[in-house]
Amino acid sequence: MTARNPIALALFMLIAPIARAQPAPPDDGGMPVRNDIVRAKCGACHRTDDKGRMSRISYRRATPENWEKTIKRMVVLNHASLEPADARIILKYLADQQGLAPEEARPVEFEPERRMVEFSYDKDKDTADTCGSCHSIARVLSERRTKEEWELLVAMHRGYYPLVDNQPMNGGQGFRRTRPMQTEPGPDGRPPDNRHPMDKALEHLTKTLPLKTSEWAAWSAAMQPPKLAGRWAIIGALPGKGAVYGQVTIAADPSGADSFTTETRYTVARTGEAVSRTGKALVYTGYQWRGREGEWRQVMFVERDWKSMSGRWFTGAYDETGVDVKLVRLSGEPAIFGTSVAALKTSSTAQAVRIFGANLPTTLTPADVGLGQGVKATRVVSARPDEIALEIEVAAAAPVGVRDLSLPGAVKTGALVVYDTIDAIKVTPQAGMARVGGNVFPKQFQQFEAVGINNGPDGKPGTADDLDLGIVNVKWSIEEYTATFGDDDAQYVGTLDENGLFTPAVDGPNPKRVGDRNNVGDVWVVAELVERPLRARAHLLVTVPLYMAWFQAEGGK
Amino acid sequence: MNHLKPINRKAARVERATEPDVVALQRTGLPQLPHFPIGCSLVFSPGWEADRAGGTAGLCQPVERDLFDCHIGCYWPAQVPDQLNHAPDWTSKCAAAQKDWRKIDLIFP
Repeated sequence: MTARNPIALALFMLIAPIARAQPAPPDDGGMPVRNDIVRAKCGACHRTDDKGRMSRISYRRATPENWEKTIKRMVVLNHASLEPADARIILKYLADQQGLAPEEARPVEFEPERRMVEFSYDKDKDTADTCGSCHSIARVLSERRTKEEWELLVAMHRGYYPLVDNQPMNGGQGFRRTRPMQTEPGPDGRPPDNRHPMDKALEHLTKTLPLKTSEWAAWSAAMQPPKLAGRWAIIGALPGKGAVYGQVTIAADPSGADSFTTETRYTVARTGEAVSRTGKALVYTGYQWRGREGEWRQVMFVERDWKSMSGRWFTGAYDETGVDVKLVRLSGEPAIFGTSVAALKTSSTAQAVRIFGANLPTTLTPADVGLGQGVKATRVVSARPDEIALEIEVAAAAPVGVRDLSLPGAVKTGALVVYDTIDAIKVTPQAGMARVGGNVFPKQFQQFEAVGINNGPDGKPGTADDLDLGIVNVKWSIEEYTATFGDDDAQYVGTLDENGLFTPAVDGPNPKRVGDRNNVGDVWVVAELVERPLRARAHLLVTVPLYMAWFQAEGGK
Repeated sequence: MNHLKPINRKAARVERATEPDVVALQRTGLPQLPHFPIGCSLVFSPGWEADRAGGTAGLCQPVERDLFDCHIGCYWPAQVPDQLNHAPDWTSKCAAAQKDWRKIDLIFP
């Protein structure tokens, strides 16, 4: 193979990084693989050295999701033959023994939680552009590797996707080797840095995300099988519907290590809608909860004291429907989770308020309920250990502000607010996205919600004492966001229901539109308060489907 | 554009049309990086989900007409199956995308 044989050279570049890479030199932190199935199933290509370290595998740490993607790629592209049961054992072993420490995983928790958050990596622009132009930069931050491993990762991308070498990325140079050299010194007077962006990114990754870290050394020594069985409170927020409260009973599942079964029951506080599901979960690396209850997946971060965990439960073709949850371990003590209303208006009588909790007192008089000055319970409608229904009266002169709720044996701080008027409304998310679908590809929905805002005791908008009044009743509509001449997106993109749920139109070319455009477009989503003419809006991008389902994860199955 | 004067009626209409409210056309100072406040995992330049101005007016449309260039060139590996690795015969059931777009498969890598 010489440069005179370009095909052989190209083939070598393609194959060399993937197959039979040379074992790395000693004392670089490579971790011995002690699992027989990993050795047997991966050993055909990944050589084991005399210290039990396997080529490539031993020089990388990653989240369960990243290991899973790698294992899938080995099956799909590298002809690894794996039974699902073996794949699960391999994934569990690698995620546990070569995972990320909690401190390393927490900043990128939104990645496995499949959140649409705005995140930009500001520590190194070359890394952000080179990696983040195609996929989430959080995927990179979910990895730790040796220098050689980072280099091989870049080589793999260039081998699989040769076009990246000629592709400018986000205005930058991307993987391209050829470009004009800078000759002028920089603003600081130093000679220009003419290194390739890939090389600068590699230097940054090697330095910032190394295989050996003190966090991992500490966590891998301290990690224990989590004992999470028991009753847990669910305190959550379901976009468009508001707070949810309930309980989940977690039991150890004897069929596997770190496995659990779950029995979940919760109520949407505002509407009273009750949900109950059962499922299974697996905890990776001692703290990464991955569960599944029917169509719903659960991704949570278990805190080190095993007293709380938090994350997101989600479903939908693009994981777009979700509930933000916090689970808190329950003891025998009374505990208040929250209330059915987020805000109480002054000068109101007989307002129905339900209190959700656990071990609540069942013999209760109105005098036992404390809500601060000007607010009092007038009647206890019903009292069960998990739910109390009250009627509340708010005086005209009740001061505006955040209130604590007390019952015998329990206090919930900041349980609700007292307000006099709705001064403004706000639509969240401020920027949403949906994808057309229904014919061939699934739809991606977008839920909006409108929350009320009171200016707070200082009466000024936009200050720290503004009160969040929770979801308010609004009339929803779609308006054109004029981006071009004769913009007609609002007619085609889809519909918004009375609860703020946007359902995109079908995929495929639309012969009714100029140029057979798809039903894509960008529009304003407008909310108008029912009681008085207050409006707020958010931007909605309705766009094309994805044709690759990279995002399908099996965690917890 | 103040140094140019419209010399016919159509040019005058274009000038008038760009005065109010056409958000995308009013953006100046390119090249400007798109800003996507809706996620962290999107976009090349311009993006798959949004164009360079952050909207959809400039996307390749309909997407089905353009897909196969992306497929063959492996141009959008995060959005479209690439011909080299994951889906060598993705287009086999779809001779003309405009007619056969319903036969395009979703690929699970």
